[in-house]
Amino acid sequence: MKSCKTIALRLLLCASVSFPAGFAGAAASGTASLAEPPGTGGPPMLRRLTEAQYRATIADVFGPDIPVTARFERALRSEGLVAVGTSEAGLSAFALEQYDTAAGAIAAAVLAPERRERFVPCDSPPVQHFDPDCAAAFIERHGTRLFRRALEAEEATAWLDVARAAHTRLGDFYAALEFTLVGMLVAPDFLLRVEAVATTPAADGSPRLDAYSRATRLSYFLTGSAPDAGLLAAAGRGALDSPDGLAREVDRLMAGPRYEAAVREFFTDMLRFDLFDDLAKDPVIYPAFNSTVAADAQEQTLRTITGHLLAGEGDYRDLFTTRAAPLTRSLGIVYRQPVAVRNGWQEGEFSERSGRVGIQSHLSFLALHSHPGRSSPTLRGKAIREVFLCQHMPDPPVDVDFTGINDDTNAARPTARDRLQAHATETQCKACHVLMDPAGLALEYYDGLGAFRTRENGAEIDVSGALDAKSFAAASGLGTALAEHSQTTSCLVRRMYSFATGRRELPGERAYLEYLDATFAAAGYRVPALMRAIALSDAFYRIAPETNDEVATGHDVPAAGES
Amino acid sequence: MPHKFQSLRLALATLSLAACGALAQPEWVQDGSAGFVVSSIRYALAEDAEENGACPEGMTTGYADRSEVFVDLEGLELREGEAEEQHLKRLFGVAFGDKPVTNLCLNPELGAPDDRFRTVTAQGVPVEGIDLDPLVPKSRTGGYCAHEDFPGMQGGSGIDNQFYRVFGCSAQYQSTGLSNSFEIEMLTGSWGVLVTLDGIDDIANDDEVAVGIFASADPIQLSPAREPLPYATYAIHPEPRFQARTRGRIVDGVLTTEPVDVRIEWVVNSIRQDRPLDDAVLQVTLDEEGVMDGYLAGFTQVEDLYNYSFGFRNGTDGTGELAPLRLRSGSAVGKSFVLGYTCEGVYQALYANADADPDPQTGRCRALSTQYRVAAIPAFVVAEATASSNANLDAAGYRREEMYEAAPPENKKEER
Repeated sequence: MKSCKTIALRLLLCASVSFPAGFAGAAASGTASLAEPPGTGGPPMLRRLTEAQYRATIADVFGPDIPVTARFERALRSEGLVAVGTSEAGLSAFALEQYDTAAGAIAAAVLAPERRERFVPCDSPPVQHFDPDCAAAFIERHGTRLFRRALEAEEATAWLDVARAAHTRLGDFYAALEFTLVGMLVAPDFLLRVEAVATTPAADGSPRLDAYSRATRLSYFLTGSAPDAGLLAAAGRGALDSPDGLAREVDRLMAGPRYEAAVREFFTDMLRFDLFDDLAKDPVIYPAFNSTVAADAQEQTLRTITGHLLAGEGDYRDLFTTRAAPLTRSLGIVYRQPVAVRNGWQEGEFSERSGRVGIQSHLSFLALHSHPGRSSPTLRGKAIREVFLCQHMPDPPVDVDFTGINDDTNAARPTARDRLQAHATETQCKACHVLMDPAGLALEYYDGLGAFRTRENGAEIDVSGALDAKSFAAASGLGTALAEHSQTTSCLVRRMYSFATGRRELPGERAYLEYLDATFAAAGYRVPALMRAIALSDAFYRIAPETNDEVATGHDVPAAGES
Repeated sequence: MPHKFQSLRLALATLSLAACGALAQPEWVQDGSAGFVVSSIRYALAEDAEENGACPEGMTTGYADRSEVFVDLEGLELREGEAEEQHLKRLFGVAFGDKPVTNLCLNPELGAPDDRFRTVTAQGVPVEGIDLDPLVPKSRTGGYCAHEDFPGMQGGSGIDNQFYRVFGCSAQYQSTGLSNSFEIEMLTGSWGVLVTLDGIDDIANDDEVAVGIFASADPIQLSPAREPLPYATYAIHPEPRFQARTRGRIVDGVLTTEPVDVRIEWVVNSIRQDRPLDDAVLQVTLDEEGVMDGYLAGFTQVEDLYNYSFGFRNGTDGTGELAPLRLRSGSAVGKSFVLGYTCEGVYQALYANADADPDPQTGRCRALSTQYRVAAIPAFVVAEATASSNANLDAAGYRREEMYEAAPPENKKEER
């Protein structure tokens, strides 16, 4: 049985890549070529399935009616993405316990009498009799989907031995299969995306991922789930080796129903929606906040994004200036807009009165980057720079005095701007606050939940702000500044590539990322075009030679055209 | 009778609105329209009888022997040595079984004159409410019967509130009583009341605004602390009988409407009923936050009031069918036992104190002045065609005026 024991988890220790303010992306400079430059690639990765990927995989393999009952461990965010954290986090005892619980429930549901016919590929063998052919077929069928590759002969035999031993102990064929399935569901091969290097290098001699690892990387990137039977088959016959064969699969996956889910998963990660699990608001100050509002706020932003980028084939930059406002009645209370639709979503636009434009004016951003009882220009400004511009803002010094900024009842400093003014004059605070606060202050018309206001503690709110060299008078100006900022699109490119590979970009990949910048620009900043370019690029599957030590070799398949 | 403001709060609100009248329309008014959901509603009453001395003849009492509620008493009387609980169980078993025994709560007109029901007889007891006489012309009510008006609790006089006169000496309507907390069902989402204003030019002074008073088709939206939330969206009840439209004017921040027949829903023991208020006038203040506060006052037919509050004779189930007799009868009789009154006593007192709608034949009035203290908060009110009263939803193919074209403001009186 193949195990991950032989595969080293590579912790990437490359120098941090930063994007100082004023950095001009390749797209803006116009120097990049649309031909993919030769690249170095990166290491093969060992990535833990995210909760979303786990659930999607189980639903795809066994059907959406199979319950996944477990509390998943909190995700680790690294380099701005949980997707990167999945290659850096370990598995705690709690996580294994929960995986075991989930596996037990899934296996019980799959082997329940009413579903056996669906999942056991043979005619109702007697319970007391162990049918090795039937068990082998069951293992082959589901093991291939769960492990996202063909099972090796000795591996399949090992699982069959498990099933036989279980039957000996349990005396029930289906119980034995259930026991075996539990084992497969807690195996590293399922819980971890184990990437292997092909024994046969690419045409240019460089190492690359093996076919099934490529299929898996591609599938989770473009569908958020495990490879389907068609993709596994394509990998098995070497179809992914040829540009045409790869393009066929990429286009098929992007045209499929799960592509939107992958886009949603990316933006859920980039926008840090996992933090909603911990979001709390003071019910006295924000009585309209509840779990429904929190869920709908995330969905509102994701619907806006997918509606604009996919259905509307829109320019990514316009997400910061769009007034599109899908609303539910729960959200309508906070946005103070009517929602005629009773149980569902109503498409519409934010009122001009509210001044809202862009996803940065959504509750999902405003509430998430605020305090439980008040707004925070600093947290919002920090998030604007970190989430949308990929800039890193350091944590505050440990000895900083927050007394003044926290006292929002001080009549002499009625607005957040007043309080921050006093705060930001302190030398130890100023350096960072001048970067964060001006952008966040433009969003001060929205309280700690995101509801519109024009006054704070009776005083008129000043919503003038600035982002780097651009000053503006209100939230709409911030949207325009973000849309026009040179790092906005290059940040998305880097986030998308990191999301796809599960690691930060490497110094040797600068030319490749500039190529992606240029491709993104040439496509009018259409996100599907960017994702397609990544999926079709050699660099996406290439393994850096220096990282090709101590890793498992993969599963060779016939070269394209040989099958 | 003079028409004066009834509370200090009204006067203060007037001053504040007059001050802000020069400002642009507030957030709760959009395109000259505003919507509201009633967040609080209760009967306009007075201080407890113990405080204001309204009941020198004492308080109302109920049946001394619970079997008295049944017309045919044979075999139902309290037996010697029978415990009260046992008696009650036996009563309900027999009275509401397969062959129900006629009871006075479903048939109050069969009762003998009752001397246990007490009404307010003290003079000059200050009450909540407004003076309806100058607001509701006799042509609408068919005339009035002689009655003594009350002084207002915060000054003023001429308050028409015969509901209080009837029930001011009943324990159930004292501050700790159970019958004036019927809004609990509203807060659980069983029913709701919406108000719309259209054609607002100036929230402090406006000669004419269109006013709608509707039952809500949606449950009220509450905070985790169960406080109604402003700016939620509610649809108007699709049944025309729950849609009242009239005109009003705003003077110094006080909105007063022309009379209109209003009908809202309510629920008791899962029995659904209409709560009608005829010739109703809405007189409220509007503060800067869009909070509406004041009175919804009018007249209730005695038969209607008795039915929805005491007899449940025409209550329906969720499908609109007449609710099971056992449920209606049991609820009516049980309520009289629990709250301590006689059904025939209520019925007789209601007619004895009715002050409007005289019977052309007998001259006996058939309607009782009834006032509710109401508060409402901003809301988005949409028609069944999914339109809003607070926003320009032309794109949705709906024009606000259509709601008022559907029914003329005159709201002609129906034959009773």
